[in-house]
Amino acid sequence: MIFTVIKSITSEQAQEVCFKKNYTIMKTILILLTFLTLTAINAQSSYEKGMNKAFELWKNNTPEEAINMFERIAKAEKENWLPYYYAAQIHITSTFGSKDAEAIESRLKKAQEYLNESKTIAKENAEIYIMEALLNTAYVAYNPSVYGMTHSAKVEQLYQKAKALEPKNPRAVLYHAEWKMGSAKFFGSDPKAFCPEVEKAILYFENETQDIPFYPKWGKNEVKRVQKNCKG
Amino acid sequence: MKLLLYLILLVFLFCTSNAQTTISGKVTDPAGTAIQGANVYLDGTYDGGSTNDNGIFSFTTTEKSIQTLLVSFLSFETFSITTTILEMKDLKIRLKEDVNSLDSVLLNAGTFSAGDNSKASVLTPMDIVTTAGAAGDFIGALQTLPGTSNVSEDGRLFVRGGDAKETNIYIDGLRVFQPFNPTANNIPTRGRFSSFLFNGTNFSTGGYSAEFGDALSSVLLLNTIDEPDQKKTELQLINVGLGAENTQKWNKNSLSINSFYLNLKPYQEIISQRIDWIKPYESLSGETVYRHVFDKGLLKIYGGLSYSNFDLIQEDINRINGINFALKNRNTYINTSYNGDLAPDWKISAGTSFANDHNDIKIDNTTVDNEDNSFHFKVKLRKRFSNRFKLNFGAEQFISSFSEKATTTDFGTFRSAFNNNSTAAFAEGNIFFSKKLAMQIGVRGVHNTLIDVTKISPRASLAYKTSSKSQISLAYGDFYQTAQQEILKYTADLEPEKSSHYIFNYLYQNNNRTFRAEGYYKSYDVLIKYNTNTPEFNSMYTNNGSGYASGVDVFWRDNKSIKNLEYWLSYSYLDTKRDYKNFPTKATPNFAAKHNVSLVTKYWVQDWKSLLSTTYNFASGRPYNNPNQSVFQNSKTKTFNSVDVSWAYLISQQKILYVSVSNVLGFDNVFNYQYANTPNTNGNFSRRTIRPNADRFFIVGFFWTISDNKTDNQLDNL
Repeated sequence: MIFTVIKSITSEQAQEVCFKKNYTIMKTILILLTFLTLTAINAQSSYEKGMNKAFELWKNNTPEEAINMFERIAKAEKENWLPYYYAAQIHITSTFGSKDAEAIESRLKKAQEYLNESKTIAKENAEIYIMEALLNTAYVAYNPSVYGMTHSAKVEQLYQKAKALEPKNPRAVLYHAEWKMGSAKFFGSDPKAFCPEVEKAILYFENETQDIPFYPKWGKNEVKRVQKNCKG
Repeated sequence: MKLLLYLILLVFLFCTSNAQTTISGKVTDPAGTAIQGANVYLDGTYDGGSTNDNGIFSFTTTEKSIQTLLVSFLSFETFSITTTILEMKDLKIRLKEDVNSLDSVLLNAGTFSAGDNSKASVLTPMDIVTTAGAAGDFIGALQTLPGTSNVSEDGRLFVRGGDAKETNIYIDGLRVFQPFNPTANNIPTRGRFSSFLFNGTNFSTGGYSAEFGDALSSVLLLNTIDEPDQKKTELQLINVGLGAENTQKWNKNSLSINSFYLNLKPYQEIISQRIDWIKPYESLSGETVYRHVFDKGLLKIYGGLSYSNFDLIQEDINRINGINFALKNRNTYINTSYNGDLAPDWKISAGTSFANDHNDIKIDNTTVDNEDNSFHFKVKLRKRFSNRFKLNFGAEQFISSFSEKATTTDFGTFRSAFNNNSTAAFAEGNIFFSKKLAMQIGVRGVHNTLIDVTKISPRASLAYKTSSKSQISLAYGDFYQTAQQEILKYTADLEPEKSSHYIFNYLYQNNNRTFRAEGYYKSYDVLIKYNTNTPEFNSMYTNNGSGYASGVDVFWRDNKSIKNLEYWLSYSYLDTKRDYKNFPTKATPNFAAKHNVSLVTKYWVQDWKSLLSTTYNFASGRPYNNPNQSVFQNSKTKTFNSVDVSWAYLISQQKILYVSVSNVLGFDNVFNYQYANTPNTNGNFSRRTIRPNADRFFIVGFFWTISDNKTDNQLDNL
């Protein structure tokens, strides 16, 4: 027990402790005692700290640093598919709206590599299929004339796979609906036909429960954007 | 107090065991420029950081002794160093560029590719099938690329002054022995394969890899789809036939089956033809592809069966009633290939193909029955030494046996047969010196047992990136090709014909625009000659022919400038002369026009949900021989012009209406002239014009896809 606690003390805290080793023993013991109680309460594995840090970097507009952090965690946590998944997600989302073909291609290629890694860890995982569908959507969005035909079919297939595994996955339902709305608009039919699907997604978001820390639960904020197709 | 001591001890233990080591250094690219944002970390730990804008990194670790430091950055090879932590100070790390990345130089001299990989492709898979005038035949789209000659009465590929037999076709790396449906003279043929089976095409107009041989001019490499996306059924109803296709997927298997029935009779009853058909063209074909995914590889089995027949009277200047020509053809083709990983850094491709072709021909009172069995076996290994050096090597065996029985009422029965077997081995290395400079060097050796000849041919190409958007490349190669069936059945004493290619290529790619210019010189040697009009059993054969072809091919593609419009423009300049077959001297053959131009446009009209395609083809006059003149092959036909249009209308997401018309403006094109064998009473040789069978060809079709997801359609098959 004590060893796990010590292991979890970060380097800054350790430095602090070492710095004070020249003080009186009593003082050291006091500090150490408070310290041990504090860490025991706040027991956080390096995995959790790392993941929190990475999300913070992402939130603070340093996505490249966040990708690097996720990649490092992935290399340390060989049985966990989540860090690869998030590294891929950042690469994919950063291509949306970009015009730099070379950057898009190399990012999407890298994202696919990350997803392939996560697929070897977690086989038949709905969230990974959803992310892969988004990756293929990114290809179609950036160069429809080259990738439209070939990658559209993949997107459709990936959403279906995800839904077969988790019929009530809100991200699968929401993004699949958005994808279908897009092609409905393209082929001149009514995108509103898929609005009930969006309603379902909202319900599934409400009921989403997941105990695994850092398990994907994003997407709720995108509902409004998708719902714009249902107005008017 | 005991506890206290414990704690003190613990503090000391803790501090010594957690002694910090700082790891620091600088990361640059090969040119020494700092890289910002590179990921630097100890493998398997949480210790690491990113480089700052000066390329500097610094982080502390409590790890001990020997560790592996990794440095990764997009578009660069991951760097790794394994050493003691104490030595990881002030490191100077120069990352190597990832030569597999998008902006690396391409070894592309001579090659056009169409596929998913936007880096190397000049055409998309869609282009192959939506080009107007191609009428669903993928060969048709390739004929709009520079380096090909417009020989629309034939339908096959004529590349850079070479005739159609100088191009070989491969499916999944294995030879296709009879890629085209047989036809009569002056009736264009079509590829036997349906376009929806393929998703990658590589068309080399010269200087191709040592993996391929027995073709003087060109190879066309087709790859079947690895894994279909979904279960579906597709139906095609066309004014000249009907077809159906079904794809099933289960576990690690998938199976596609299709069949097509073509009958030109109803069409030809409505639209008049210049040919007198007794029995219009009719064919029935079926194809099957089975795929199985193994843990480390992919097995594909392709099988195609086709049966076709027709009967017609061919006009002939020397025969007042024309010549009756009838043909029944039966063709079976099976192709099995396996691609997979053998060991780390080793890949294997192995496969066999087999073809059985049977023709039953009637020419007036002569009947010809022939049968051809061909077999190809190939193994290729690929060893990756590093990202920068890869070696391919392999061996292949061709076995072919041909037999023919010709019977005429006047001369009785004549039989001929031969076995044409050859063994070849090849090796080729791909070397990337940097992202800017790459080389491919290979050699191929082949031994043919029928003619008992061994030939070694070197191949090399080099590419250099001149700027971020442009590159130049060079290619050289020697190519040999054994005589064709029509000669081998009479003699086996001829050397293989030889050509050498010298190619210089310039490529510019920027933002959905591509400019490609290629200059080449090709020499022909040891060409086969004979002293009769066509090869016969008593002809005199020699290897005394020779020739050359040189020219410039220019290609421009722009998907960017005008919204919803994609177009490409091809121009080929060809200067060629050869002395072969029964030519009395060096001359330009009839198929080789000096100038060829193609302009292909595709315009998507969102409001009409329609794809409108047009293709304009131009060729300068083609040489022909006029016996009324003293110089051989000295006359030229008028220029060739054709505008083809097609319209694909999406009725709904899975239903398409398709209409296409070739030569919509009705240009009166002339391919060649046939002269009488003997002069008429005025001492002149009279002639007959060789023209298309009909000025225009109309296709009206309805394509319906039925699938679970209801989004797929057949736009990619038109």
